[in-house]
Amino acid sequence: MSLALSMDFQYTTSIEKAWSALTDSGKLAKWITENDFKPVVGHRFQFRHQASEYWDGIVDGEVLIVEAPNRLSYSWATGNEKHTVTWTLQDLGDGKVNLHLDQTGFSNPQGLEGARYGWGNWFGGFEKVLEQ
Amino acid sequence: MNENNQLRDAFDAIADPTRRQLIRLLAEADEIPLHELTAQFQMGRTAVSKHLTILKEAGMVLDRKVGRETRFRLNAAPLREIQDWVAFYSKYWSTNMLRLNQLFEEEEQ
Repeated sequence: MSLALSMDFQYTTSIEKAWSALTDSGKLAKWITENDFKPVVGHRFQFRHQASEYWDGIVDGEVLIVEAPNRLSYSWATGNEKHTVTWTLQDLGDGKVNLHLDQTGFSNPQGLEGARYGWGNWFGGFEKVLEQ
Repeated sequence: MNENNQLRDAFDAIADPTRRQLIRLLAEADEIPLHELTAQFQMGRTAVSKHLTILKEAGMVLDRKVGRETRFRLNAAPLREIQDWVAFYSKYWSTNMLRLNQLFEEEEQ
């Protein structure tokens, strides 16, 4: 089993705007969270989410690859997990852009299995369990 | 990982489809005797019992003896850890990608 996650998202926008949304700190704050991100290789940054019972909300990262407007990669560490997130942007024409996300480095198959199961079909039965 | 000093990681416990099915069955009833659980699977009583032991080690299943039979019930609390973990990823990528779409729409206006 490969411990990697791969997802595609398509948007109606230009590749420049998509790149900007992935790399501009102010825009990242709008769709991810408060941060001090800069698209500069070697820059260390934090995404600061609201803390919860099981998570302090902090993601520590370091920028690894900046190839505007096609590729962006950074490390992504929180708790015991240290992942690498890589975005690949592709202009599909007609004002459409494909965002491909690769996330690698899941620390254990249980974690990935848990996530896969959760994304797939966990929530329905699960909420029922918690309500009991 | 474990606030209850459970012997086993919650993710380990749910990594197996038989154990997920057991959780689902136990979620639908207050308490189920082993022989009734076994009847739901294409495997023997010993195999089902081993899976239940793993769920017990993760704190997800409680058992008690009633006469000659052992009855099992679900303890959902350790599943919280999984929900939180999954919610974290789910929130991080799915919800965020929707928000990203909103950002693009705002920019078009």
